[in-house]
Amino acid sequence: MGKESKTIWDRLEDIPREVLYAILIITFIMPMLFPIGFPVPISPEVQRWYDTIDKLPSGSVIMIDFGYSGGGEPELGPMAVAVYHHIFRKGGIRVIAMSTSNEGTLLFDKVIAELNPSQYGKQYGVDYIHIGYLAGTETAMAAVGKSIRTATATDYKGTPLDKYPVMQGVDEAKDFDLLICYTTGGDQSEGWVRQWYTSYQTPYLCCVIAMMVPTMLPYQKAGQIVSLTSGAQAGQMELLVKMPGRGIKSADVITLTHLLCIVFVVIGNVAYFGKKFSGGKK
Amino acid sequence: MADFATIIQIWFAALFTIWVYSIAFRDNVFFKFAEHTFVGAAAGHSLVMGVNNVQRSGWAPLMAGNYLYIIVFVLGILLYTRYHNEYFWMSRFPLSVLVGIGIGITMRTTVTAEFIAQIQSTAGMKVLGTDAWTAISNLIFIIITLAVVYYFVFTFPKMHGGGLGIISIIAKYGMMAAFGYSFANTVLSRFNMIFGRLDFIMSSWLPLPYAMIALPVALILLIYAMIPAARRPWPKTQN
Repeated sequence: MGKESKTIWDRLEDIPREVLYAILIITFIMPMLFPIGFPVPISPEVQRWYDTIDKLPSGSVIMIDFGYSGGGEPELGPMAVAVYHHIFRKGGIRVIAMSTSNEGTLLFDKVIAELNPSQYGKQYGVDYIHIGYLAGTETAMAAVGKSIRTATATDYKGTPLDKYPVMQGVDEAKDFDLLICYTTGGDQSEGWVRQWYTSYQTPYLCCVIAMMVPTMLPYQKAGQIVSLTSGAQAGQMELLVKMPGRGIKSADVITLTHLLCIVFVVIGNVAYFGKKFSGGKK
Repeated sequence: MADFATIIQIWFAALFTIWVYSIAFRDNVFFKFAEHTFVGAAAGHSLVMGVNNVQRSGWAPLMAGNYLYIIVFVLGILLYTRYHNEYFWMSRFPLSVLVGIGIGITMRTTVTAEFIAQIQSTAGMKVLGTDAWTAISNLIFIIITLAVVYYFVFTFPKMHGGGLGIISIIAKYGMMAAFGYSFANTVLSRFNMIFGRLDFIMSSWLPLPYAMIALPVALILLIYAMIPAARRPWPKTQN
């Protein structure tokens, strides 16, 4: 087709991707520079997550899996920080973390640096710990469920677990009152259902990247997950725990960029049907 | 003020972010450099974590007197025989153990977690005795579940033609709706990632000294690198 014979529909269909990306980036940056402040309603899932932690009695022990990779950090990191804020502020809860992703230990350090547990008087080894990256995903979950000390004798810094007060009286899945998993992989999110919920009935909170939500919804519907959230809902959790952070900052941006996406889809469809009804090729 | 190591880290992270996202516009040498560096760094990190894991979960218990771990090490070493033309068959033994353990651990709960619980959940959905919206939602869920199961289980052409064809049509529309939902969530995830990186650049990098000067310089260099080599004013390429 020659250049001169291009119709308006052809032009709409062939908008260069560079132009589309440029518009997208501008839409990203503008609300970051000039926040609009769209309302952020609390969804039932986030409220249920919050209530589950809130109802934990003093002396409870939580297992947290940092099962996400660096790519998922912008989405899952803010959620992890907000949840730690809630747990530490509530007090009387011990938090034992592990990683089924080999980047998990680095991301745990990032979360702790952003969180600053000392503001709540919490200390590593006394109130919280990370027992390190354990390879094997589901095999690791099963092994930790049976005995943490058999799976690993040290924390991620190489210090024996028994030297930490936080580990006293904690060794198997039955010692935990709650399981939380942040993950970018289906192996982790589904693996915990199979290895901990099904085997030990440990209440399970799962936070995944948004694209994994559809595959995990059946587990929540079946009651195997108490609450399933996506990292994109981190802003809601930050509002609940009254600690505004990265999650709430993204609300305006995500809303506007999604509106732009809808506009792109509408333009594409208008071009398609316009071409079809004006007698052009499909 | 952050320490020097952190500042260097932020500079690298910011520049690599810009270079990686530049592929959205056009391929260029900075993107290639960032891509290769990332692959190398990720491989290096995985290697270190792997060695660390062997040390913590294998070597340490062995040194503590648990000699059964020798079997684990022997099996682990046998995995590497696959690179030897004559002894590659020996790698099948540890592989069999790995697959066997993996299947065993997964299968013991799969039936309960993946089948029984899901069937119970779907079968227990209320269509009567609940509010109208929940009833309609549950009814749609049940119809689409049955239609999709039918679509994939009964694959004979006759089962998808004539009057029964309506079941396949419902299944297809149900699946398309699910794919659409999935795609929308994927966009949400990706946009969150972009936001995370832009937020990092704006909140962590740009406030640093000289970053505001470095940003336009980096962008100009990027644009220059995106121009095809033959059309660049400098350096001249030889034909």
